[in-house]
Amino acid sequence: MKNIFTIIKKEFSRFFKDKRMVITVLLPGLLIFAVYSLMGTVFSGMESVDENYKPKAYIVAAPQNLEETFSSILEITEKPSLEEAKKAVTEGELDIVVVFPSDFSQTIGTATPPDVKIFYNSAERNSVYGYTFVTAVLGQINTSAFTVNAASDKFDLATGRDITGNLMSTIMPMLMFALLASGCIAVAPESIAGEKERGTMATMLITPIRRVELALGKIISLTCFALLSGISSFLGVILSLPKLMGGMVGAEAAAFYSVGDYFMVLAIIISVVLVIISAFSVVSAYAKSVKEAGSLISPLMILVIVLGMATMFFAGNVPHVAIYIVPLLGSGLAMSSIMSFSVNPLGFALSIISNLVITAAFVVLLAFMFKSEKIMFKK
Amino acid sequence: MTEILKVENLKKSFNLSRKQQKLEKTYQKVKVAVNDLTFSAYKGEIFGLLGPNGAGKTTTLRMLATLIKPDGGNAFIDGKSIINEENEVRRKIGFLTSELKLEDFFTPNYLFGFFSELYGVDKTTAAQRRQVLFSKFGIDKFAEVKFGNLSTGMKQKVSLVISIVHDPELIIFDEPTNGLDVLTAKVVTDFLEELRAEGKTIILSTHIFSLVEKLCDRVGIIINGQLIALDTLENLTKEKNLEDTFFELYEKTTGDRI
Repeated sequence: MKNIFTIIKKEFSRFFKDKRMVITVLLPGLLIFAVYSLMGTVFSGMESVDENYKPKAYIVAAPQNLEETFSSILEITEKPSLEEAKKAVTEGELDIVVVFPSDFSQTIGTATPPDVKIFYNSAERNSVYGYTFVTAVLGQINTSAFTVNAASDKFDLATGRDITGNLMSTIMPMLMFALLASGCIAVAPESIAGEKERGTMATMLITPIRRVELALGKIISLTCFALLSGISSFLGVILSLPKLMGGMVGAEAAAFYSVGDYFMVLAIIISVVLVIISAFSVVSAYAKSVKEAGSLISPLMILVIVLGMATMFFAGNVPHVAIYIVPLLGSGLAMSSIMSFSVNPLGFALSIISNLVITAAFVVLLAFMFKSEKIMFKK
Repeated sequence: MTEILKVENLKKSFNLSRKQQKLEKTYQKVKVAVNDLTFSAYKGEIFGLLGPNGAGKTTTLRMLATLIKPDGGNAFIDGKSIINEENEVRRKIGFLTSELKLEDFFTPNYLFGFFSELYGVDKTTAAQRRQVLFSKFGIDKFAEVKFGNLSTGMKQKVSLVISIVHDPELIIFDEPTNGLDVLTAKVVTDFLEELRAEGKTIILSTHIFSLVEKLCDRVGIIINGQLIALDTLENLTKEKNLEDTFFELYEKTTGDRI
């Protein structure tokens, strides 16, 4: 046990003495802040909806000649009142609310044209689709005869919490996986393949340190460095959130999540880093040089990012809880559920346990590799 | 005489890659690096392992240091097997070879502390040993300079000191004076004599005849992985000097004319 701390101390000392390494690890957070702030200005809903989908709408005082058209393209829903209907839009139960002025037919085409109000929820893709759809239909009638949403009402009924949840659950897993993997690739090859290449690993291997202690010491310290990178990236995301969402959400966005949410995300990040760093360490131990390790790790890096991206396709619907056991994919789904305020506690626990089991297997494999002369001393 | 090292029928072969076959100019897929090596070393002696490049000296030393495993035979260091009791063996030996490097980012002071901890040396003993060894080799003057910024001689002194942080019974030196200037080489050879005087056993691998003649009590001549001669330096040099004896044995074994 003492030797594990000796190795960890040495790795920390080595890491913080190398300024380039520290910068490499902390840079992603700064980059994310800059890039995402810029992205916020061009970010727009690009999600697709089933083309046969009929948006659920509540319509007030629709002119007779439009009633038939709306019935064919929308699923008209009844609500006790306008306020109830708007609340349903906010909660995602209803897609849009269209309010025609009671004197629509009389004032259409006059000097004071009627204003049609369409309430929608920008955090819900179906609602955005419904809004676009109704606007397009109205636009075909006579655009100069009346106006749409000309009043100063708040037509987007999505709350900042909804927008944050929607966006974060979509981008967070992919983003974090990519950033964590880049943090891991910055430290693992250097610490393991680098030591092998420089001959300093052999110097440690002739000491009485148990190979499993060496493997654990390496993985724990490398996890800390990669976590630094992960935390820096996470802060970058949180701080860039208001700009990323184009002002839809203010600086209070980070406060939508509870302390518990943050702890759960942190637990997922730690377990993900453990899996990635231990996998990268095994590959680095196999490689003859840092360069070779980098080449061998590249496909793994792509796999990690793809697994992060794959969570986007689930869109919050995980068909079976067993999917959470799939390493990294399960973590991405668990992270996504936390970000969208719909945590699945069993899924969360399964993803963490699965990652820890995988990490333990990699540690044992790494210790075995440290024992193997063919791997450690191959020319 | 107390036997510290006992080597019994040690064997080691390596598979040759196509590239290595080309380099070695052979069609054989396996190279026998060490073939049935048997010898002993005793407390307080310097045992020289003499041989040309590729004779199997370094492979033998790497097996004794537990970096690689033998294919056959065994070796015992103070009664501990290099095959089954690797960690016990590691506590009893110090190994200095150009293959083992120290991290450039660390200072000699840090490195001494780090390896003392790995060898389980308690802090007080480590501090005392550091003071004695650093002072003996003049390392205190550059104890806080990063290893990567030291000269070759300084690095070799630090490497030597680090290899014996745990005060081992058996010290294995592979070409310890290679690449050193005459002054540093003298410091190292003097230190080897001091270690012998302290009762330590030293295995010295080299191809420098003068070094063997100056330091060694007994010599093993190894050619093509086999021990061709094993005797005291006195007996080996009775009729001819060591160099002539070595070349005569080499020609007899390999059939090559020098």
